[in-house]
Amino acid sequence: MSMKQTKVWLILMIALSLLGLASACSKAPEGTSDNNAPTTTGKAYTAKGNEGTITGTIAYNGAAPAPKKIDTSADPVCGQKSPNLATEDNVVTNGKLEYAFVYIKDGATADGTKVGDYTFTAPSDTVTLDQSGCHYKPHVMGAMVNQKLNITNSDPTQHNIHFTPKNNPDWNQSQPNGAPALTHSFARSEVLVPVKCNQHPWMKAYVGVLKHPFFAVSAEDGTFTIKGVPPGTYTVAAWHEGGANGTEKTMSVTVPASGSAKADFAFGEGATAAGAPGLEMMPAIEVPVIGHH
Amino acid sequence: MNRGLYRFALLVACATFFLIIAGALVTSHDAGLATNDWPLSNGQVFPKMVGNLFWEHGHRMVATTVGLLTIGLVVFLFAKEKRRWVRRLGLLALLGVIAQGLLGGLTVKLSLPLAVSAAHATLAQLFFCTTVSLAVFTSRSWMVSRPLLEERAGLPLRYICTAAAATIFLQLIIGATLRHSATWDKPLPTDLLLTHIGGAVAVTLLLGSATLLVLRRYRDEPLLTRPAMVALALLIVQLSLGLAAYVVRAASPNDPQPLNPMVGVTVAHVACGALVFATTIVLTLRVFKVLRPCEQALKFSAATQQG
Ligand code: HEM
Ligand SMILES: [Cu+2]
Repeated sequence: MSMKQTKVWLILMIALSLLGLASACSKAPEGTSDNNAPTTTGKAYTAKGNEGTITGTIAYNGAAPAPKKIDTSADPVCGQKSPNLATEDNVVTNGKLEYAFVYIKDGATADGTKVGDYTFTAPSDTVTLDQSGCHYKPHVMGAMVNQKLNITNSDPTQHNIHFTPKNNPDWNQSQPNGAPALTHSFARSEVLVPVKCNQHPWMKAYVGVLKHPFFAVSAEDGTFTIKGVPPGTYTVAAWHEGGANGTEKTMSVTVPASGSAKADFAFGEGATAAGAPGLEMMPAIEVPVIGHH
Repeated sequence: MNRGLYRFALLVACATFFLIIAGALVTSHDAGLATNDWPLSNGQVFPKMVGNLFWEHGHRMVATTVGLLTIGLVVFLFAKEKRRWVRRLGLLALLGVIAQGLLGGLTVKLSLPLAVSAAHATLAQLFFCTTVSLAVFTSRSWMVSRPLLEERAGLPLRYICTAAAATIFLQLIIGATLRHSATWDKPLPTDLLLTHIGGAVAVTLLLGSATLLVLRRYRDEPLLTRPAMVALALLIVQLSLGLAAYVVRAASPNDPQPLNPMVGVTVAHVACGALVFATTIVLTLRVFKVLRPCEQALKFSAATQQG
């Protein structure tokens, strides 16, 4: 009796495990893309003094979805410091959209050199992502490849900063209250890297990482300015979060020497400017990096 | 036969069920990385359990308790249990719980890769099923000698039940993969979701026919009809919970944070899935115990052993 039962049980278990194994193997994790070191070929860009600017306004047509109230009761500290937290995916004031990420996606300078063929050195000054009141400030920001990103915790509670990029390594770090600032940087361009806190699951932010410094985030009145743009003709993209990958719209602009070009975008109802909604989040210029893994 | 041993095994199985719920709560709250530290949480044994750390650290504490209970069970088995194979099964359970702790730590350290997280969820179900089996093997009903019933003609129940258990196990793995790769903001249904729904159809067919056959053929054998009825009821609940999980998840991408209706429904679906699996295992073990293989089955196994 006993021997037989052992056998039956073992056979059952082995069969089950094999089945499990087989199915687990056939579902190998995806998304562990290439490990190529970022390429740094191309000529170094030097400012010539005749750079121009790209300015514009991001409009939001129609009624934007109202911000949703966030329930912070899971961590009392959060409610004390910011009793009225709400979602920031659609911050619209007078028909103008805040937190759109605008950047040069493609194009060439006046002498015909593609933006992607230049190399730009990351500035030595850091950009800061602050956690205050269980809320990221700012909600959307830009950084250059390899530029130092300073992460500060201004709260009397612990946070957990979790970057979930597709094109860069995942990074997850706890930061207790009173802990010194953390620094992080990205080796590859990626528009945009989502940031979340696993401790306070409502905390969300985005970092647009580019190889060049030609990006900006729209202000409360929807305006943005990209400075120091060499004369040339470019594809400018505006990205707004929502859905799996956000929505991106593009248009072509020509920046005259020492002049200014305008790029106004509109999101929301019937705003079908250039670019299809739900466009993939593509790394701005490093296009060949993804696509094959 | 030791009544205390059976009760203790039952306690371990119940604690494990509670642990599965605690683990499912971590996933539904997206709390798996509330700390990137392991085995300590933020360098502490008892951190302040606020925010999602409540779920993540709470799960660790329940898991520690189950680990200690399992050690207790193994000690108890080695003191009181005469059947060597049951003692060995206890050791296997202990190995399982240790591996499970390591997998849990690994998945935190590696920032929840799909394969490790899904393996952790899958091993959880296997461990649960081992503790349930230990309770079955130490129960009085298993140990009293009783006349064997003849398998009636037709497809032998032991095969149908085994197939049902195996399919449920596969379905649990697909479910775990689904949950740990969930991208509910993609166009639905995704391929994985369709696979899971296909799996649900297969489980319904196999477990449905196994239980209905038991209820028809062995209506006077409570040892079989009881788990069959429970399994059938749980299956219906599980299908409804699955549908509900789909609906709440599909509606969730614009939620500012994991909300209670979604958490409640998805955790219930995971927990009920574990119960469906466990009852099917109980049913299968008892079918092997109570039914003598019919001619056909004997011939079949003879043929497979030769071939
Ligand atoms: C016998 C039938 C079923 C079983 C045994 C089962 C089992 C499971 C399990 C165990 C999980 C989660 C695994 C884990 O996290 O470890 C899961 C997830 C899921 N199942 Fe099922 N399932 C069944 C039927 C269905 C059906 C019919 C549907 C939908 C139409 C469904 C929809 C889902 C969904 C949406 C999830 C993911 C939940 C989430 O993201 O939190 N299931 N299933
Ligand atoms: Cu936080």
